[in-house]
Amino acid sequence: MNIVSLRLVVAAILAVIGAGAFAIALGYEFGSARRMGPGYFPVVLSAILTLLAISEMVSAAMKPEAMSIDWRPFFAILAAVVGFAVTMHLFGMIPAFFVVIGVATLSERRFGLLPAVILAIVTSAGAYLLFSRFLGMTMPLFQFGP
Amino acid sequence: MLENIILGFATALTLENLAYCFAGVFLGTFIGVLPGLGSLAAISMLLPLSFYLEPTTALIMLAGIYYGGEYGGSIASILLNLPGTPSAAVTCLDGNPMAKQGRAGVALFITAIASFVGGSFGVIALMGFGPAIAQVGLGFGPGDYFALMLLGLVAAVTVGGGSVVKSMIMVVLGLLLGTVGTDVTSGEFRYTFGYLELRDGVSLVAIAMGLFGIAEVISSIRDAGKRKITEKVTMRGMIPTRDDMRKALGPMARGSSIGGFLGALPGAGTVIAAFLAYATEVRVAKDKSIFGKGAIQGVAAPESANNAAAQTAFIPTLTIGIPGSATMSIMLGALMIHGITPGPLLVSDHPTIFWGLIASFWIGNFFLLILNIPLIGLWVRVLQFPYKYIYPVVIALICIGVFSMRNSVFDVWLVVIFGALGYLLQRVGYSAAPLILGFVLGPMLEENLRRAMLLARGDPMRLIGDPLTGSILALSALMLIWAMLGGVRQLIRARRAARVPPGEA
Repeated sequence: MNIVSLRLVVAAILAVIGAGAFAIALGYEFGSARRMGPGYFPVVLSAILTLLAISEMVSAAMKPEAMSIDWRPFFAILAAVVGFAVTMHLFGMIPAFFVVIGVATLSERRFGLLPAVILAIVTSAGAYLLFSRFLGMTMPLFQFGP
Repeated sequence: MLENIILGFATALTLENLAYCFAGVFLGTFIGVLPGLGSLAAISMLLPLSFYLEPTTALIMLAGIYYGGEYGGSIASILLNLPGTPSAAVTCLDGNPMAKQGRAGVALFITAIASFVGGSFGVIALMGFGPAIAQVGLGFGPGDYFALMLLGLVAAVTVGGGSVVKSMIMVVLGLLLGTVGTDVTSGEFRYTFGYLELRDGVSLVAIAMGLFGIAEVISSIRDAGKRKITEKVTMRGMIPTRDDMRKALGPMARGSSIGGFLGALPGAGTVIAAFLAYATEVRVAKDKSIFGKGAIQGVAAPESANNAAAQTAFIPTLTIGIPGSATMSIMLGALMIHGITPGPLLVSDHPTIFWGLIASFWIGNFFLLILNIPLIGLWVRVLQFPYKYIYPVVIALICIGVFSMRNSVFDVWLVVIFGALGYLLQRVGYSAAPLILGFVLGPMLEENLRRAMLLARGDPMRLIGDPLTGSILALSALMLIWAMLGGVRQLIRARRAARVPPGEA
């Protein structure tokens, strides 16, 4: 296989996170072993993280393994959560529920529109009763604009 | 002791606490029955709800979800050969063959009984040892706490199974995430990137929901269509023969003891308890060939072990304030949200919480016995319900749960990030549990290390020189070295076994 292994990509992401955290941590006061500053822990940890991630990168590069991602559910579920965040912010809880459930059902082909709509109605009603009525949370059900 | 037990039952038997205890074990069983979603995801989903409850009530409900999940996890193992929770994986080995022989009812009955026996044993151990360990904990200094937390993290890395390097990466990433927010000592903001929301740190619920909830849902969608139950389960079919009961007694006793002991240790947890209990049964059995073909011992032992471990896991969490597993660290988080610091003082300062929780364990275990024997048909029907109507609702509940924590969309965005990261990590074999443990322990670890180093005047040798601190640190170092060497040896063996031609790998 010529494609880069997923294991290598993930290890590289972790190494980048580690290196980035290290660079930022250098800006905090390091202090001494006796009086550790706010930078002491982050510097040490991010250095360890970077080294470990690099060693994982090396071992991943030496032994390529084929691993696949289920892209369809991956994007559908994440898009559903993004959709919720945006709709909740702009239009309130009930529309957000329709969006999150509608988009989540896209993770499977042939889910069907009718089951998705029924599911959204039932869930919204249940959430309204549980959160707003029973627990008394103050959440905007419908609104327009942030 | 007696008055404490009475106090506990007086707390747990109020109508509200009874109702939430029942809700907890019911939901726990429900989530446990569904393959793909574990009790960790369920607890983090319900954590926001617990803000609206008294701390004791909240803990009773969350704990109920946890041990309820251990009961429910085995139902899918037996009927579908798919573990509902990781610790029920061993139960597949003999539980599913029993179902194929038409003895699904008996397997489910023995599971319920074994779980009850194991759970009861665990609660007794908690009652007996908990207060005593809290007494010992009163004498611990910051150095000892630092060493103990480090031991817990090392145990999570080495005992948890899987690649040591990957687990270490997860722990360190968790610790690093724990440093986000306002530094307690200096008041400086670390890694907040100008976001007000990050000044209190990254939300535990957002991390847990992303890593466990979202990631688990994504990976379970693919297998969702393959589930079919053919076995019929009736009440009459559940009654075991006298011979079955006789065979199951020894394994239950051994399983409970193994689980009870391992549950209280950091890092081991319910999965390893169940696995070791099964291995022990295979070792002590005269006829080893029965295992894997529907041996009742192979169901009774791991089920009693994982339930005993689920209860004794509360010992270090409540009495020293050091959680041994990811689920326990979320419990700890729930307590801290309510302003209660678990530790040696919890037992004496908040007796209603400690003893009320223990009393609720007894009540919850009885509820579970009822839920799992007369009401077993309900769970079989839950398993038959198509998963495709469940996961969109789960995602919606995760979203609203995270949002309701602070009425802020910011945390929902964090769920997106951690969900994506969590799924990718899971696909390539990283376990998210050490990350959560590191995240929760991180701030405490740092604070105790700073205090200990201040007391030791910056000389690490003084820290190591202390008899207790030093020996715990030495133990952690030994465990780590042993695991690393094991990893190296494994690598060499794998190399030799594969006989890879040079240049190709």
